[in-house]
Amino acid sequence: MSAPERADVVLGSVPKLGPLYAAAAGKQAAGWRRRRAVRGRGPGAPEEVLRLPAVRHVVRGVAADPGRLAAYQRLVGDALRDTLPSVYVHGLAFPVAVGVMVRADFPLPLLGMVHLGNVVEHSRPIGVGEELEIAAWPENLRAHRAGTRVDMVVEASAGGVPVWRGVSTYLAKGIGAAPELAPGEPRACLPPAPTARWQLDAATGRAYAAVLGDYNPIHLGVLPAKALGLKRPIAHGMYLAGRVLATAAPNDCGYRWSIRFEAPVFLPGTVEVALGPHNGTVDFEGWNAASGRRHFAGRVGALPPAET
Amino acid sequence: MAASPENTVPQASRNAAGGVRPAVVIGGNRIPFARAHGHYAHASNQDMLTAAIDGLVARFGLQGQRLGAVAGGAVLKHPRNFNLVREAVLATALAPDTPAYDVQMACATGMEAIGSLANKIRLGQLESGIGGGVDSTSDAPIAVSEGLRRMLLELHRAKTARQKLAAVARLRPRDLAPDAPGTAEPRTGLSMGEHQALTTAAWGITREAQDQLALASHRNLAAAYERNFFDDLITPYRGLARDANLRADTSAEKLASLQPVFGKDLGTTATMTAGNSTPLTDGAATVLLGSEDFARQHNLPMLANFLDFEAASVDFVRGREGLLMAPAYAVPRLLERNGLSLQDFDFYEIHEAFAGTVLSTLAAWEDAGFCRNKLGLDAPLGPVDRSRLNVNGSSLAAGHPFAATGGRIVATLAKLLHEKGSGRGLVSVCAAGGQGVAAILEAR
Amino acid sequence: MNSALARGMARKAGLPWPAPLRRHRPGDPLVPGTVLVLGGGAAAGAAEEILRGWGVEVRRNSGGAGPLGAIVLALDALRAPADLSAPALATGQALRQLVPGGRVVAYLRGEAGDAGDPVRAAARRGAEGFLRSLARELRGGATANGIVLGGETLCADAPSAVAALRFLLSGRSAYVDGQLVRVDTTAGTLPVDWELPLQGKVAVVTGAARGIGAAIARTLRRDGASVVGVDVPAAGEALAAVASQVGGTALQLDIVRPDAGQAILAHARERHGRLDIVVHNAGITRDRLLANMDRSRWESVVAVNLESQLRMNATFFDAGLQGLRIVSLASTSGIAGNRGQTNYAASKAGVMGMVGASAAAAAALGGGINAVAPGFIETDMTAAVPLATRAAARLLMPSLMQGGLPVDVAEAVGFLAWDAAAGINGQTLRVCGQSLVGA
Repeated sequence: MSAPERADVVLGSVPKLGPLYAAAAGKQAAGWRRRRAVRGRGPGAPEEVLRLPAVRHVVRGVAADPGRLAAYQRLVGDALRDTLPSVYVHGLAFPVAVGVMVRADFPLPLLGMVHLGNVVEHSRPIGVGEELEIAAWPENLRAHRAGTRVDMVVEASAGGVPVWRGVSTYLAKGIGAAPELAPGEPRACLPPAPTARWQLDAATGRAYAAVLGDYNPIHLGVLPAKALGLKRPIAHGMYLAGRVLATAAPNDCGYRWSIRFEAPVFLPGTVEVALGPHNGTVDFEGWNAASGRRHFAGRVGALPPAET
Repeated sequence: MAASPENTVPQASRNAAGGVRPAVVIGGNRIPFARAHGHYAHASNQDMLTAAIDGLVARFGLQGQRLGAVAGGAVLKHPRNFNLVREAVLATALAPDTPAYDVQMACATGMEAIGSLANKIRLGQLESGIGGGVDSTSDAPIAVSEGLRRMLLELHRAKTARQKLAAVARLRPRDLAPDAPGTAEPRTGLSMGEHQALTTAAWGITREAQDQLALASHRNLAAAYERNFFDDLITPYRGLARDANLRADTSAEKLASLQPVFGKDLGTTATMTAGNSTPLTDGAATVLLGSEDFARQHNLPMLANFLDFEAASVDFVRGREGLLMAPAYAVPRLLERNGLSLQDFDFYEIHEAFAGTVLSTLAAWEDAGFCRNKLGLDAPLGPVDRSRLNVNGSSLAAGHPFAATGGRIVATLAKLLHEKGSGRGLVSVCAAGGQGVAAILEAR
Repeated sequence: MNSALARGMARKAGLPWPAPLRRHRPGDPLVPGTVLVLGGGAAAGAAEEILRGWGVEVRRNSGGAGPLGAIVLALDALRAPADLSAPALATGQALRQLVPGGRVVAYLRGEAGDAGDPVRAAARRGAEGFLRSLARELRGGATANGIVLGGETLCADAPSAVAALRFLLSGRSAYVDGQLVRVDTTAGTLPVDWELPLQGKVAVVTGAARGIGAAIARTLRRDGASVVGVDVPAAGEALAAVASQVGGTALQLDIVRPDAGQAILAHARERHGRLDIVVHNAGITRDRLLANMDRSRWESVVAVNLESQLRMNATFFDAGLQGLRIVSLASTSGIAGNRGQTNYAASKAGVMGMVGASAAAAAALGGGINAVAPGFIETDMTAAVPLATRAAARLLMPSLMQGGLPVDVAEAVGFLAWDAAAGINGQTLRVCGQSLVGA
């Protein structure tokens, strides 16, 4: 399948998330009425009704800040090493992706979107001093039983060679919902024996935001979360992924990992976590011991060495 | 015990032929183990280690002598005790020019300290040494919170008043709460007990079996005291003459009446109680090692040879194995290297972190699947004769001041072997971080 | 008690004030001055020669001037009561010259049991009474003791008589007063160095963790012995400290165990290569008036204080330890009796009987066995005695008007452990400051 032609929008630097969120809020307040038209089963599938902007936002010369990297590594319990954890690269590139999502021609509302999961190919260890070119674009708009899904693709390249490629899938609830679509993979009815337990305090979201700049209000505190319809703040999905990867990701070679988010982790809260080897990869999941609800599940595995 | 013919060659001579000389366990000394916040509530690690070494020095008349080295450590250690063992040595009757170094390998600290000294003696680098360890949960170091710590460090690095102010401004009220060490594994957040509860459940170890092991531990330890076994292994300290945790009068009924404390919310049947788990304990233990020449020159007894030891680790973080199962891997490697089978021992000293640890390990060695898939063996290692297991009690009864346990076990086993006059003993000690150490001692 | 205030109050009340005792410190002169040798016995000449050999200044003339460190009185040739008057009166004349901490040592002679000529026996026993009363008249921490030369021929130059003279003149005998040391044979070898009379010896001290036992361990070590300290396991912490202080080894052992003797022997042989001296110091009190005495109190005291020693001695004798010297701790309670201590006194009197009856077995191996009976010694144990009783025991009863120190007992034990003391056997030496309690 040939990729659609996309226009590159080269930005001078990685945008700040705060203004982006503010812009998103403004855009949503103004444009709400227009989008209401597609609530419910609209006149067609979202990919027919809605159109993704055919652009790539590109920022060149992006490098990690060693202090911020250290803070991140400490936050998720990773070792302080001079290569970039996968979730840190995500964090570095995330504002670029958000920049696409707050474009006037992006058809879905950023705030209130549900993060469904990620698939990431981290091709080789990326040094802290490497200059990266970050490119982000949307694709694969499609229906979900509860709304419309979109993939945000981020590619980080070093010297013109992609070294990190991540696909984040988001759900805009209520927009173009297709209830007839079957739910995804059924949740395991019995959680496995945990191998770890995370006690997450109320400040977990703020701590992640402070390090990676993702001040999405739903993670910050009870009041901002309530303003967006949540009873309590929830943990960043990428924080959860980052903690798993700190334990499970290899650090001497490239790897591929994926995570699927099922139920949010309310803060403060306790997550039971199980890591298990599975045919050369590590499968993981996290759940709530009291309710038995699964928060996330995923897999991480080393990539074979790249051919040269 | 049916020893195969090649095993009748004494290991000592075999090793001698291999170019190293025997390292001899001369004796040991420990202070009685106290329950946390009990008799030793006001004693520091350094105090207790000093007392244990001093008792050893007195027992063997080592006053003023320069030994090759003193090695030991503590698991819960305050940063100011960066030179814990050396500082202790300076307080003892040993010559002040005795070198000392700290070792840390969680609950296997004592075994690693003793084993490394034994190796140096075997190589001829040292003539003598004291190995052991100490731990206090009563005098545990309490650190400032991570937030306060970072603020203080920033403040230290700040040059201008503005930077200083910025550093201080970052402090939050919750940063002022102190941070006490826990027993949770750093990478999993699960306590050791919870980890073991998972392993215990996975191996289907029953509550009854665990209680029975605990009962035997108490009975065996009490009987050993009754026959004065510990008269030359323990020196009283701060008014305590016997392990405070020992319950000579406990019974199966009493143990059965205790409520489970671990594994209650892990989705498994909770079987681990305060009775079949070791309590937090304070104490110190030491072992005197030497070459044969050293022992002879100083008219010191030779209880046993410290033949060999092996460490193993397991990947509990990624769920490949239970946290405390590493000895199950260390032992077969050690057996193979020494050409022995699991049944070639007269005594087994398997550290009772929890009754479930011992029983899971024994079950694994009997399990064909485990031995084939995890150990790569054609046949299971087979059963351990339970009448030879922890015959003078172990940690469930005596208590377990983490780094002190190795010294307790090695001294006890060496004396047992010497009393018997022949045979071998196997040591197995599990440790936090998915680690474990196994060792072989040989009577003399 | 030693404060100036207390001293002043005692003076005003007309109470005697205890003098500081002259105790042994290595390097001190044997006696604090010239020694006057009086009396006509053969012992006088022998003593003079011995003293000069030690570099001590000797005077034979009672009329001389100048302070005296000691008076040696040869009463070994008395034939009739009248023979005593001249030396006794001459001693009296010289007493004013005796310095504080001085010594009177008399040589006496005789068989145990006053055999033979009644006139001679009366003279000899008369000398004992004279000496004991003289001891009570001495002031300034001076003491008077006797050396009894057994039989009719034993000379003052018998090694044990020499050793006894040395001991009694020295500060080692500070709290020994009004006592007789009986030398029966010429057995014994004099030490090469009187400051290290136990050089090369291996000594076991039971009950070494504290009090008198710890003092014995230190004293034996000071005198050259290697020390094995024994105490019950429960006392191990204090025992370890003592063992380390004396550079010895600690053996945690309950001596009531049937195999205690074997354990001690094995430890001494394995760790020190030999066993030369055993000090049975371990003992317990379980005081009760007899009417209130229960079986366990009685039996535990007898088991620890007496039966264990009998059992261990049998082991040592069976092992054929050549030259073994055993010193047991008895008590003046065992001599004079003590209210509330029927069990204790029985055990301690039993010890005296034991050493007497074991002397032959010990001698057969070239060794000896004796007892030391302490009087009121200031220890942790006596600190528990009510103050008034303690003050009375210290001040009113002994001639020296004070309690002894553990080291005083230890010095006597050490003396009896010397090889030179081999001619002294089966005896009990009191270290009581000449207490009124007992004979």
